[in-house]
Amino acid sequence: MKTRFYPHTFAYLLPHIWRVLCKGACTVGFPFGEAKLPSGYRGVVKIKPELCRGCGLCVRDCPAFGIELEREGRDKFRLIYYPDRCAYCSQCETSCNFGAIYQVNEFVPATDRPDELRVVLVDRWPEEDSTADEDQTD
Amino acid sequence: MVILFRLLVFPGFLFLFFSAMLFDWVDRRVIARFQERVGPPWYQPFADFVKLLAKEDVLSTGAHATAASLLPVAALVAVLTAALYVPVGGIAVASFEGDLILVLFLLSVPAISYFLVGWISVGVYSVIGGNRSLLQYFSYEVPFLMALAAPAALSGTWSIARIVAYQGQTSWGLLMQPLGFILAMIGLVGKLKRDPLDIPKAKSEVIAGPLTEFSGRKLALWHLAMEMQTVVGIFLLVNLFVGDSRFFGWLPQLPVFGLKALALLVLLSMAAVLYARLRIDQLADLGWKILAPLALLQFVATLWIIGL
Amino acid sequence: MSKTIVPIGPQHPLLKEPVAFQITVEGEQVIDSAMRMGYVHRGIERLCEERTYVQDIHLLERVCGICSHVHATTYCRAVEALIGVEVPLRGVYLRALLCELERIHSHLLWLGVLARNIGFDTIFMYAWRDREIVLDIMEDLSGGRVSHAANVIGGVRVDLTEARREEILGELTFLDGQVARLLNVVEQEQSLRARTRDIGLLTLEQVRQYCVVGPVARASGLDVDFRRDSLQVPYDRLTFEVPVHDAGDVWARTLVRSQETVESLRLCRQILEDLPEGPTSARVPRRVKAGQAIARAEAPRGEVFYYVRSDGSDSPARVKVRTPTLTSLITLPVQLQEITMADVSVVLSGVDLCIACADR
Repeated sequence: MKTRFYPHTFAYLLPHIWRVLCKGACTVGFPFGEAKLPSGYRGVVKIKPELCRGCGLCVRDCPAFGIELEREGRDKFRLIYYPDRCAYCSQCETSCNFGAIYQVNEFVPATDRPDELRVVLVDRWPEEDSTADEDQTD
Repeated sequence: MVILFRLLVFPGFLFLFFSAMLFDWVDRRVIARFQERVGPPWYQPFADFVKLLAKEDVLSTGAHATAASLLPVAALVAVLTAALYVPVGGIAVASFEGDLILVLFLLSVPAISYFLVGWISVGVYSVIGGNRSLLQYFSYEVPFLMALAAPAALSGTWSIARIVAYQGQTSWGLLMQPLGFILAMIGLVGKLKRDPLDIPKAKSEVIAGPLTEFSGRKLALWHLAMEMQTVVGIFLLVNLFVGDSRFFGWLPQLPVFGLKALALLVLLSMAAVLYARLRIDQLADLGWKILAPLALLQFVATLWIIGL
Repeated sequence: MSKTIVPIGPQHPLLKEPVAFQITVEGEQVIDSAMRMGYVHRGIERLCEERTYVQDIHLLERVCGICSHVHATTYCRAVEALIGVEVPLRGVYLRALLCELERIHSHLLWLGVLARNIGFDTIFMYAWRDREIVLDIMEDLSGGRVSHAANVIGGVRVDLTEARREEILGELTFLDGQVARLLNVVEQEQSLRARTRDIGLLTLEQVRQYCVVGPVARASGLDVDFRRDSLQVPYDRLTFEVPVHDAGDVWARTLVRSQETVESLRLCRQILEDLPEGPTSARVPRRVKAGQAIARAEAPRGEVFYYVRSDGSDSPARVKVRTPTLTSLITLPVQLQEITMADVSVVLSGVDLCIACADR
């Protein structure tokens, strides 16, 4: 194993280091304050409940099983979303034919409250039944 | 009282400790800037040291417990003793004719301890790292010693203080022996096991070398010994090669000395940034085929100058 | 001298992903090596059979953490072939744009890892600094740095506005300069060359014998590149060169990959400049006819191959993935011969292992 030695490239990085020194560091300290999100960022999942028809396409296509549909008959259903399972891939947005479910460019905050990990997105379940049901699921 | 102050505070233990922390920080900061990063805050070396001290001290089964505790202490003690004889801005705790030889001897004790700590460990990375450190020692030590002996031969004394004084009468050793200075710097990089000669502790090859299985206080002591060795090595080179402060005659000696030491540290950081790590056989080639003949040439040239 | 077995992995600073090597050394000389893999086996091929075609896109995107987009794209192409749907040209171009950005990102990441493993932290920092620009572009484009979720069956779901296109072109110009400077260092720097020359040698015959693909094959003189050879849209309309070197060592692989990065930048620029108008995805029926289809693509590490069989139901009956890393992995015993302990890190980083791809 022979290695040749080229003296003219002895300290090849020196000019680059000089450039870097003139330019200043590209890393920053911890950025306290508002985070700047990229324009295409897929964040919090939201819904326009009046548009949802409970077709279940988002439920079927969700790769992380993060949306569930409880239904009884045509107009009696509840769409439940689990943020802890969500992969924020925006597949539900693509699958929805009515533009009901969508993701917005907002940061997803962390939470330590378990009840925040079950979000009822659409509730078309008559009130009297739902109270009894919710006690069981929680 | 003065002796006690000199031993413990300046230029003894406390001064060395804080210089070690400062040098570590400056080194990391400078390297970070070269690499377009911000780098750690000034208290990072202290935080690392305290964190290590507070950690649980684990020793792998089968390792020699007494030796494992004694070796970092031996390294630290050797470095601290060497520091007594290295003048800082003209002030040394002790000095005698021939203290350069003693300092050089004491500075090789950490290298031997480093090898031994790999030897007594049971981990395979430690053993390989230990062997590598010994191989590295044989590669850099000869040119390093010859490069440091040349100023001594030139000034006709083995006392560091007198070598500094001799430079005061003539000129910087750096100007009289530029080749020797370069060789001594390369040797120092090898001695301190810094990048790019960090072969015994190459992370991607042997994890952390001999220190792989150490933690807690022992590791803290090891790191302290290594950092203090950096300081003492740089101080020694400052004395031998840029010892004279006549150019800055109107300034107090100590800050000038510190600035010179920091300049050498930046040179070392530069070497760490500029090159990839060498393979151990490449280092042996470099040491024996290039550095040693150059050192010999330098030494012969010095003798010839003396003869004139 | 006695023989020692040095374990490298499953956890080791050298490896970014879990794979285990047992290197038998005599002093510093490596005399034997054994490998064990499967630490990140997630059974993805089996899981694919239990999920629907749409869910599988996102599952297969997670095969690999670096070349995620190319996996999803290839799978989508196989399913599109099954359905018999034509992807609109703009969709094809956007897919190719993400693929090329991903190649730049992958190669820069690899360069950083190699540099780190030979103790050259400066190159590591510079390479990853430049990689960050690519990641930012991808994040802006698709919303994800690594998992883009950009593919749907029948096209892509992301789109570029005219203003954004100009912006990305500007960013690419900046990246051009950065990468050119970096590659100039890589090609000239002595210590990097000293460490990678004549390490991990693979001859052309060995490359043919082991069916090696991608940059490793191209560094040994085998002129294969699926993008060029397949005459696929859009690569048949773009001009680019396939760098080939014949030294067969890690140094040649470094050169091949660095020149490929430049070519990919050229491709990105061309794609953005010729970006056709129109829709980004076609409307696709949800039902997939019974049948089978294959799709291939050139991933950053070489050719990736997908086989999809459908029985007419919601989910595929079989999805077979062949990733390029597997071929590089089986050449490792050859490459790990007659080297020293210090070169193991160079060899292992030189082939650009993607264990997650290989294990699936």
